[in-house]
Amino acid sequence: MGEANHPALAIEKLRFRYPGAAEDVIAIDDLTLLKGEQMLLTGGSGRGKSTLLHLIAGLIEPREGTVRVVGQAMHQLRGARRDRFRGRQIGMVFQTHHLLPGFSALENVMVALTFSGVARSTHRELARKTLNDLGIDRVDADPGELSVGQQQRVAVARAVVCGPALVLADEPTASLDPEAAGVAMDLMQNACREQGAALLCVSHDPAMSARFERRGELGALSAPASAGGVA
Amino acid sequence: MAIGDATIVQRSMGARMFSTVTTVALVAVSVGLMLLLLSMKDSGRKSFERGIGNMHMLISRDSSPLVSVLNGVFYANPPANPITWQEFEGLRGSLRFPLVLIPTQQGDSFRGRPVMATVPEFFTDFEPVAGEPFAFAEGEAFDAPFEVVVGSEAARAAVLRVGDVINLRHGGPRDPDAHVHDEYDYTVVGILEPTGSPHDRALFTDLTSSWTLHAHDRRLQEIGPDVETTPDDLVDADKLITGVYGRAIGRPGSSGPPAYLPQVLVQLRRNPSFVVAEPSGEINRLFQIVGNIDKILIAMAGAVMASSAIAIMLAMYNSMEQRRRQIALLRVLGASRARIFRLVIIESALLGLIGAVLGVLVATVGGVVVSGVLQARLGLVVEPTFGWALAAWVVGATVGLAVIAGLIPAIAGYRTSVVRNLRPLG
Repeated sequence: MGEANHPALAIEKLRFRYPGAAEDVIAIDDLTLLKGEQMLLTGGSGRGKSTLLHLIAGLIEPREGTVRVVGQAMHQLRGARRDRFRGRQIGMVFQTHHLLPGFSALENVMVALTFSGVARSTHRELARKTLNDLGIDRVDADPGELSVGQQQRVAVARAVVCGPALVLADEPTASLDPEAAGVAMDLMQNACREQGAALLCVSHDPAMSARFERRGELGALSAPASAGGVA
Repeated sequence: MAIGDATIVQRSMGARMFSTVTTVALVAVSVGLMLLLLSMKDSGRKSFERGIGNMHMLISRDSSPLVSVLNGVFYANPPANPITWQEFEGLRGSLRFPLVLIPTQQGDSFRGRPVMATVPEFFTDFEPVAGEPFAFAEGEAFDAPFEVVVGSEAARAAVLRVGDVINLRHGGPRDPDAHVHDEYDYTVVGILEPTGSPHDRALFTDLTSSWTLHAHDRRLQEIGPDVETTPDDLVDADKLITGVYGRAIGRPGSSGPPAYLPQVLVQLRRNPSFVVAEPSGEINRLFQIVGNIDKILIAMAGAVMASSAIAIMLAMYNSMEQRRRQIALLRVLGASRARIFRLVIIESALLGLIGAVLGVLVATVGGVVVSGVLQARLGLVVEPTFGWALAAWVVGATVGLAVIAGLIPAIAGYRTSVVRNLRPLG
């Protein structure tokens, strides 16, 4: 089956526990996210929302189970191959924007392309267009000169610029006021739609629920009949 | 147009400008100091070789050949044991080789500067630096008694010009019994161009004047305080010299001493009352004796180099704390651990490269300043020059050390936990 026929994300019997812990913090039997699909995953603090995203991105190793991104089992890839795959297929947006200091807004986006395998000659134009599409005109500005909302847009642009199959958003509006949060979410969700990327957003903000047709609660997902936790 | 490793490293350095600038400055100063030390090592020897010039031998009655050279060429002390003019004439007559022999006499001084009495041929037949004969900035060589030619540094220090009248001191610069001969006026007839040799510190007059000065002291004791002494009053016992500069004349166009030089030396050494020194050999011997100084200089240079490597390592390692988030982010964006390792090593190497190149500039400027100060204050011509080969070697070695210094920070970067450093900012 080619990449095009695979779901953006497929999780099977995923188990993870922190070293020394008695119980798994992540225990998801089955979760699938189709291409272009957008899902909100909620859960209280410490329930493992960020951990799940790190597992999906291949940043940590599960105790057991499989995470497939467009059909590729993340944890079967080793070292640089996994990093390269992540750079190409997964975009990440964080609660705090994690923009690189010393890099302009444009360069922050171009850095993502550096590791993506996208043709180098297109990097600058692609990054500029993505930023413009997200309403950032001052592409050469230092991130420190931008408002918090604009910084988050730069972070979104960086997450989607490579045309990833999956965007993982970890509390993306937690540091924004409600109005800016709404704008940022609109932009991120639209950008993912335009790119055809699936979006998995984790948040404990109840106001986010209305934005997603598909919602899940992490605790319910961890139950044996995981599908029951999905709205 | 894309962002490559060089841009990432450049931006990373720019984001920590203070740390980058201080580290580069430290490396630059270290490399500059090291290059200066290494170049001083060679220039010290070169400085000593100046002054010997085209002389092949120095004949004296000093206690050893090395002392003879230090006294006769570098004016360390006035030689204590003289050679009579008759002995010199006998020596000159006995040598059946084409030689230039220039008699010299030391023992007088002017304001702490040595005075050498000699013959006018000193300025024509003897070259203080081989291939660079004496040249006059003002005036000309003496051709009569009680005329004096002044070395460039002595003229500058004593503010002497052609036409000035001075009185010499009978006795060396450090002789407590020395006294000024007010009764004999010397007229400055020439100021020499700088030669970068010890002769720049000296004054030169003719032998007859010097002998007359000494004869006057003798006659004061023999006859009384009202005595006047002229060159006509000289007796053989007054006609003393303290050294003879000798040069064997080779065939025109040939460099180096002629083949018969060893025979001349053998013949001269048959007379045990003379000390016959080969000045360049004595300087080599001196540098063998003080060879440990070279080793100390090299060791100091090595220590300076090592300290600069440690500075890079500390700067890089200390910066790792603030860079962990950046590294974690690059990893999320697809950079491999190996790529992170490489980026840190490149940054370390770049710090070394920029610092080393600036260090070469520091050494170049520092060399000019040091040589200027040494010449102005001590009249010592030390030219701490270094070739491009040495500079390239030092730059390469610095970059190599910087790469080694970057290993520990690079390993720290390689092992940076992505998850731990992606936690929300406080």
